[in-house]
Amino acid sequence: MTRFLGLKPDSLLVLASGILGLTASSLKRVIDFGAGAVTTKSFNLEVRKGHKAPSIIPFKNGVLNAVGLSNPGVQEMALEIEKFKKRCDAPLFASVFGRTIEEYGEVIQQLIDRVQPDLIEINVSCPNVRSEFGTPFGDSLDDTARVTEIAKKYAGKIPVSVKLGPHGPGIGRLARVCEDNGADAITAINTVGPGMLIDINVMKPVLSNKTGGVSGPAILPIAVKSVYEVFEHVSIPIIGTGGVTGTEDAIQMILAGATLIGIGTAVYYEGIEVFAKINRGITEYLQKHGRTSIEEIRGKAHE
Amino acid sequence: MSDLMQTFPIRKIIEHGPGVKSFYFDQTFEVQAGQFINLWIPGVDEKPFSVSHIQDGQIEISVKAYGPFTHRLMQSQPGQLLGIRGPFGHGFTLKDRGLLIGGGIGIAPLRLLARQLHERGLHFVSLLGAVSRHEIIFADEFERLGTCYFTTDDGSKGKKGFVTEDVAAIIETEQIKQVYAAGPEIMFVKLKAILDTLHVPYEFCMERYMKCGIGICGQCVLDDSGIRVCVEGPVLNQDDLQDVTELGMMHRNASGKRSI
Repeated sequence: MTRFLGLKPDSLLVLASGILGLTASSLKRVIDFGAGAVTTKSFNLEVRKGHKAPSIIPFKNGVLNAVGLSNPGVQEMALEIEKFKKRCDAPLFASVFGRTIEEYGEVIQQLIDRVQPDLIEINVSCPNVRSEFGTPFGDSLDDTARVTEIAKKYAGKIPVSVKLGPHGPGIGRLARVCEDNGADAITAINTVGPGMLIDINVMKPVLSNKTGGVSGPAILPIAVKSVYEVFEHVSIPIIGTGGVTGTEDAIQMILAGATLIGIGTAVYYEGIEVFAKINRGITEYLQKHGRTSIEEIRGKAHE
Repeated sequence: MSDLMQTFPIRKIIEHGPGVKSFYFDQTFEVQAGQFINLWIPGVDEKPFSVSHIQDGQIEISVKAYGPFTHRLMQSQPGQLLGIRGPFGHGFTLKDRGLLIGGGIGIAPLRLLARQLHERGLHFVSLLGAVSRHEIIFADEFERLGTCYFTTDDGSKGKKGFVTEDVAAIIETEQIKQVYAAGPEIMFVKLKAILDTLHVPYEFCMERYMKCGIGICGQCVLDDSGIRVCVEGPVLNQDDLQDVTELGMMHRNASGKRSI
């Protein structure tokens, strides 16, 4: 059992946002496969179709995606969260975004009027909607501060984690601003980039959106370094996410300072079984190193 | 086989009937009948399709003009480059004494199944239905490989009516031990009821809106089972479908919102 903001998930592995997070049935299945908690796909007030396909493309060392924040809207997602809560005791994190800073408040309000998630994750760092939304709020200290403040105001008693990217003014400074404005946790990191893949025969970008966020093994070192940096800047817990596909990756995240570990693209590489596999792996690692709990090694890379 | 996007020239295009064409590509991977590939028209969109045939080093994809994507595909020419990813998912399991039930363009994936069953010396019978005789594609091929029953809405080929009407009788007459079906989902709903009662095992080739094809986006997950059509499917059996509550009900569109 892990302790995180008063929650006691059975595992420190959390399904990351954007993966298998659209419906109660899907989220519940991930819990059955060993996740301690799950995060929904990011949603906002409107119904969004997102970008045309191809929007998710694997490459040698990861996955490039520009889904474009497609989602069925807060009303439908609230129904799915409610359904999940009826069927499952595991913590559920609701990932929300807004096209404007004000919309973050509105979507949280509409959400918690209907259902109470265990945590609200604030997505300020999606890298693939630039053409529509402009620079992500998470690239600016001021915008990040304002979004955090408004999210905290509307979330009430529900804890808020801000999901940051490795870009902009530096993730350590961004995390500090979040903490100063009341954030209860930091999720680090979102997908990296944007990046691009070009088909060499057609001689055009493969993604319909041309660019997209990079996830998977390719970004693990960036994610580990980001968690390490956030840990140095804040005292609130960190959900370390990015490129974790096996036990060794997860242990690195813990040593860098993560309390929970997000698992996303690994589902592509290892199947949904990845949760059980890493759960077992962490237990074996602790035994091998003569440790009785994760707490003993959290942030140890900083000593 | 590759999950990565690769582009290949269309080698040949053949028209099979009103609004149905086959597109041929060099075969660069093995396919189980029922598995699907994602086809990308650069600059347009990407959609999943089943492989209908493999012969002489080429794979064949048979497509019916239906929506904007397939209409664009119909206009493409030999030599044009299209992206292919896959094959993805699980196909049909090959068993003896099968009944292949195809509705409309659902006949296409069964064509490869018929071929693969035949190659292994497994006995099977086909029951193919469509709106009219023009829509019963590849009828002669199925007939060459075994006994065939046909139904059409207008009675222009075989019996007038739906494939589901004679299923129970055919299962008994032909001593069927396994049913395979592809076609509209309402056909699955009716078949499921019949086959569950008769306790005949079945495999249905499912279709859902998909984004990734690799089991991560969650778009094609079925209520309430949590099964991913792109990974655990598209071919699902009677056990997989036991907890599926959305069969014939509603699908999720690109946003993830339910619609009929």
